[in-house]
Amino acid sequence: MLNPIVRQTLRLAAMALLAGGWALASPVRAGDAKAGADVFKSECAECHAVKEGRNKKGPSLFGIVGRKAGSVTDYEYSDALKQSPWTWTPQQLHTYLSQPAKIANPGTKMKYDGLTDAKQLDDLISYLDTLH
Amino acid sequence: MLPISHRRHILRAALATLLLLLGSTAAHAIPAYARQTGASCADCHAGSYGPALTPYGMRFKLNGYTDTDGKGHKIPLSMQLIESHSAPARGDSSTQLSEGDLYLAGRLTDQVGGYVKIEADHTGHNTYNPRLSNVDLRFVAKDLKVHGKDALLGVSVNNSPGFNDPIGALPSFSNLGPSGVTGTLLNPSSPNSLANRVIGASVYGLYDSNWYGELGTYRALPTSQQDRLGYNVAGDPGRLSDTGYFRLAYMKDMKRQFFSAGVVGLTTKRQLPRSGPSDDLTDLGYDLTYQYLGNREHIVQVAYVNILERRDYGSAPVIGGVQARDHGNVHDQTASVTYTFKQSYGLSVSHMKSTGSNDVARYGPSGSPDTTSNVLTVFWTPFGRDDSYTSIANLKLAANWFRFTRFNGRGDDIFFAPPGARPTNAGDLNAFFVTASLAF
Repeated sequence: MLNPIVRQTLRLAAMALLAGGWALASPVRAGDAKAGADVFKSECAECHAVKEGRNKKGPSLFGIVGRKAGSVTDYEYSDALKQSPWTWTPQQLHTYLSQPAKIANPGTKMKYDGLTDAKQLDDLISYLDTLH
Repeated sequence: MLPISHRRHILRAALATLLLLLGSTAAHAIPAYARQTGASCADCHAGSYGPALTPYGMRFKLNGYTDTDGKGHKIPLSMQLIESHSAPARGDSSTQLSEGDLYLAGRLTDQVGGYVKIEADHTGHNTYNPRLSNVDLRFVAKDLKVHGKDALLGVSVNNSPGFNDPIGALPSFSNLGPSGVTGTLLNPSSPNSLANRVIGASVYGLYDSNWYGELGTYRALPTSQQDRLGYNVAGDPGRLSDTGYFRLAYMKDMKRQFFSAGVVGLTTKRQLPRSGPSDDLTDLGYDLTYQYLGNREHIVQVAYVNILERRDYGSAPVIGGVQARDHGNVHDQTASVTYTFKQSYGLSVSHMKSTGSNDVARYGPSGSPDTTSNVLTVFWTPFGRDDSYTSIANLKLAANWFRFTRFNGRGDDIFFAPPGARPTNAGDLNAFFVTASLAF
C-alpha cells in the first residue's frame, strides 16, 4: 500500500495533468471583441440576430454569455438542446463552436461546421460577451 | 430574307422583353420570406434587394423556401411597386408606375414551399396587363444521409428553365441575357422564349453541401392558356416535345468567399409555328461565379455564363430568293460584376453578347444575328439590414444605362433602311432608366 503522502502527491499530479491538458486542449483567451464583430457577421449573422427578442433561423444571441442553453422562451429548440445541462459560459461556447454542431450536440437544429481558427473563436466569444 | 416588317416586329418584341427585364431587375426580393425567417433582406441578397443571391439565399431556395424562425405561420404575401422614368436615345421620355406585383411566397409545411409572382405591367393609357410571372413550387426532403454525407432531395414545379437554379446566375433568374433577333432557349430575352409560357418539373439533389444536380422536363402551355395567363400569343414558344433539362454544379461556401462552377443543358424538338416542321434544339452551357463577402462591408459578385445552342432545322425554306441553312448555332454570353458597399450602395456592370452562324435568309442582308449590349446600374437600398429602420421591407432606387453597340450584326443601319429613309443605328436603342422599387 502506498504511503498517504505519496497517494496525495500522485492525486495532485494527476489533477494538475488533467487541468493542464484541459487548458491546452481548449484555452479561452481574451479576444478582440471588435474583430469578433466581423467574425460574427461572416459566421453567425445570417441565422442569429444580436437584438433582444429577435429570432432568425436560430435564437437571438443577446445575453448569450451566461445564459442557460435552450432558454429563449419564444424559440423552438431541438430536444437535444432543450435537454442539455449547459450554461453558455465562454468555456462552453468555446467547446461548442470549435467543432461541428452535430458532433457537439447530436440532434441539434444548428447547421455549423465549427470555427477552427483559434484567434477568430476567441474574438467571437469576446464579442458575444458584449451583448448585454 | 425575312420581310422588314417581320424583322421590326422581332425587334419590338426584343426591346419590349428587354424593357420588362430591366424594369424587373429588382423583382425577386420578397419581404414575406423575411417575415417568415426573421432574416433580413440582406441575408439573402447582397444589395438587400434581389435578385443576386448570397450563399445563405441559395440555401433558403434549396430548402424549398421553408426555413422559418419557428414563430408560427406568417401570411405568405408581398407586394412590389415600381415607378420608372425612361429616357430612350430615340423617342419620348416617360414617367409612370410601370409595374405592380403580388407575390404568394412562403412555406406551407416544413417540406412544401413556393414562389408565385403575379405581375401587372403598364401598357399605356393608364392600363395594366396582369400576367402570371415566375412560379416555383417545391417539395423537399431535408436532412438525408447518403454515404454518411448530408443530402437533400427535392422536386420543383416551375415555368422557366433555370429560374429555380440555386446559384442564380442563369439568365432566367439573373434577368441578364442578350436581347436580339434570336437567342438560346435558356435566355428569357430571346424571341419566343420559354420563360413563363411552359410548365415543367424537375428533381434536384444537393450532396455534401457542395454538389448540386437536377433533371427535369418541360412542355409548352397551349396558346389559349398563355392568353388567359396574360401573354400575347405572338410570343408563343411553339410546340415542344422530348424536352429535357439537366444541371450539375459544384458550389463552395467558405463564409467569406463563395465560388461555383456548373454545366447546364436543355434539349427539345420545337415546332414554331405549331403546325410547322420540327427543329431540334440543344443548349449546352457552363457558368462560373465568385463572391467575396468578407464581413459584408464590401461585397463583390462576379458571374460568367456561356450557352451554346445547336440547331438542326426541320426545313430550309427559300426566303426572299435565298436558301436558308438547315442547321446553325447561337451563342449567348453574359459577364457581370457587382460591388456592394455596406449592403446598401451598389454598382453593377454587365456585358452581354449573342452571336450566331451566318444565315442571310433567316437574319436579313447582314446574315448575322449578332448583338452586343451593356448595362450599368447604380443603386441604393436604404433598408433591409439587421441594423436598419426596417429589415423586412425595402426601397431600391436605381439608375440604369442600357447601351447597344451591335444589333443584327451591325452598328449602323441595323434595320437596312430603304434609300431615303432615316437609318436606325445600334446606339439609337440605348436608354436610360431611373426606377424606384418598393417591396413590403
